[in-house]
Amino acid sequence: MSSSTAIRPPATLAARGRKTMDPARGQWVRFTILAVVTAIVLVPVGAVFLLALQPPVATGGSVGFASFVYVLTQTATLQWLINSLWVTLVTVIAAVAVAAPAGYVVSRGRNRLVAGYSLLLFIVQSLPVIVSVIPLFILFANLGLADSLIGITIIYVGGTLSVAIWMMAAYFDSIPISLEEAAWMDGCSVFGSFLRVVLRNSLPGVLSTAIFSFLVCWNDYLIAVIFLRSNDKFTLPVGLQTFFQQNATDWGPVMAVAVIMLLPPILVFGCLSRYFSVGGIGGSLAGQ
Amino acid sequence: MTSTMLRPAKRLHGTSPAGRGSAGRRPRRITRGGVTLTALVAPSILLLLLLNAYPLINAAVQALHNGTLIGEGPYVGLDNFAKALADPAFWKAAQFTLVFTLTGVFGSWVIGLALALLMRTKIPGSGIFKVLLLLPWVVPVVVSATSWNWLVATSSSPVPILAKALGFGDVLFLANPALAALTVCVFKVWISFPFMMLMTSAALSSVEPAVYEAARIDGATKKQMFTAITLPLIARSTYISWILMTIFCVNDFPTIYLLTGGGPVDATTSLVVLAYRVVFQNFKTGYGVAIAFLMTFVLIVVSVVLYRQIRKSVIH
Repeated sequence: MSSSTAIRPPATLAARGRKTMDPARGQWVRFTILAVVTAIVLVPVGAVFLLALQPPVATGGSVGFASFVYVLTQTATLQWLINSLWVTLVTVIAAVAVAAPAGYVVSRGRNRLVAGYSLLLFIVQSLPVIVSVIPLFILFANLGLADSLIGITIIYVGGTLSVAIWMMAAYFDSIPISLEEAAWMDGCSVFGSFLRVVLRNSLPGVLSTAIFSFLVCWNDYLIAVIFLRSNDKFTLPVGLQTFFQQNATDWGPVMAVAVIMLLPPILVFGCLSRYFSVGGIGGSLAGQ
Repeated sequence: MTSTMLRPAKRLHGTSPAGRGSAGRRPRRITRGGVTLTALVAPSILLLLLLNAYPLINAAVQALHNGTLIGEGPYVGLDNFAKALADPAFWKAAQFTLVFTLTGVFGSWVIGLALALLMRTKIPGSGIFKVLLLLPWVVPVVVSATSWNWLVATSSSPVPILAKALGFGDVLFLANPALAALTVCVFKVWISFPFMMLMTSAALSSVEPAVYEAARIDGATKKQMFTAITLPLIARSTYISWILMTIFCVNDFPTIYLLTGGGPVDATTSLVVLAYRVVFQNFKTGYGVAIAFLMTFVLIVVSVVLYRQIRKSVIH
């Protein structure tokens, strides 16, 4: 300890001598680099918002919100938005409700069976959707769930489940088991302690998982395009793509639909960016 | 910062001898309530059986038949697999998948790492930059594909106009096979680098500044510190991010399909896009599923190889 404090002052002096004379200048150089990179990266995002202010070709008019009024009143966009919101909300609630208890078991019950289950989740996650979606399509068509929002909701729950379980398990790992042990001493059951002690203290983990499910569900194109056939059943991704194909150069309305689709994730991200973690996924994988 | 976000950091501490030791890393397992635990995990198992196991087995059966979306068709054994391996379209798609994945993984990793290193230094407003730079990852791919279409698709789009002004002549990004492939790869890097940036940032935040201090005293150059300290210390997280990004890239359908539809002349048809087309446009279910299985097999092999690397990369 004493040796490192003795050595530190000359080292810092040497470092200062070797570096630029003015640390503040280097800071502003890095700031400029970062600002330029960010600006270039955000061009496609900014373009969406700016183009959405163009009026529709059909009506003309001045720059403003004419395209938003047009797509919300003259097209099925509002229906697509409602469909997307419904599907996403149900998926998020169902995914968390199923993944939280399962994640608790993966976190606490460390035996070979559970480890195998955990590995199985990883394999499931790495399988391409295209493999399982074909049999599911045939199955759901027979059940009358092919062109239905309930059908794709069920598939989304299945699709988000494995990662959702991991994320919950990774969070539960950070909650000391002594809390539960204390609850058991007081006569609480395992289920009771899970609900009242662990889950109650896991709001960040639940939110991370919910955000993950929300994004997967809200952004999905492949499953929606395979399963949904009728215009009034479309979710926003399929709706936007169809609308874009039909009105390719009418950028005002096309981008207005895009902005409508973009706002919920950006709002969620803006309000809850603390809980927006991809590290959770990687971290739980590292622990396998 | 949530603790889930800090997860990689905790793992690093757990494996380092100077950390609090692996005993404190995980809670002890509980030995009671076996019935309750089974009940808690049961719904997830049921759903996974119905929505993952059943389709997988059914798909394996279909791969052995010459079916369509309506009927299972006659049993053909491994013919579909043999047919795929003899099909030039399959190998072309495999080649593009490889290019797409390699560019996607390493392109986004290099950019993500560079930005994470830059962000680690003191920069005014770095918090805002960090949030803004995550946007490509958050924006739905349908939206960004629409926007990229506007940017590059036709000769009157901004990027071709810019290229013309710079003296490159008429560049049609999505009509020329090589350029279309390049555009799709750049698009993928644009979408994916924020993920790499987040993963790398989390790993870098766990590297103790004292390590650099010590290296500086020993007279290490910046380059030496980067290759001998930074990279090895974040190796575990790096391998994880490579595995995940490989999976994301190989399985990626919308990024390619929404921008080019797999064209021009199949130049950007990856294996997933090929499988999708074979099944939903040519209605050859068995053949399409066989292609998807071959792809999955290679993906699993690659994942396992990289996964072994994680286990080897112990931090000292």
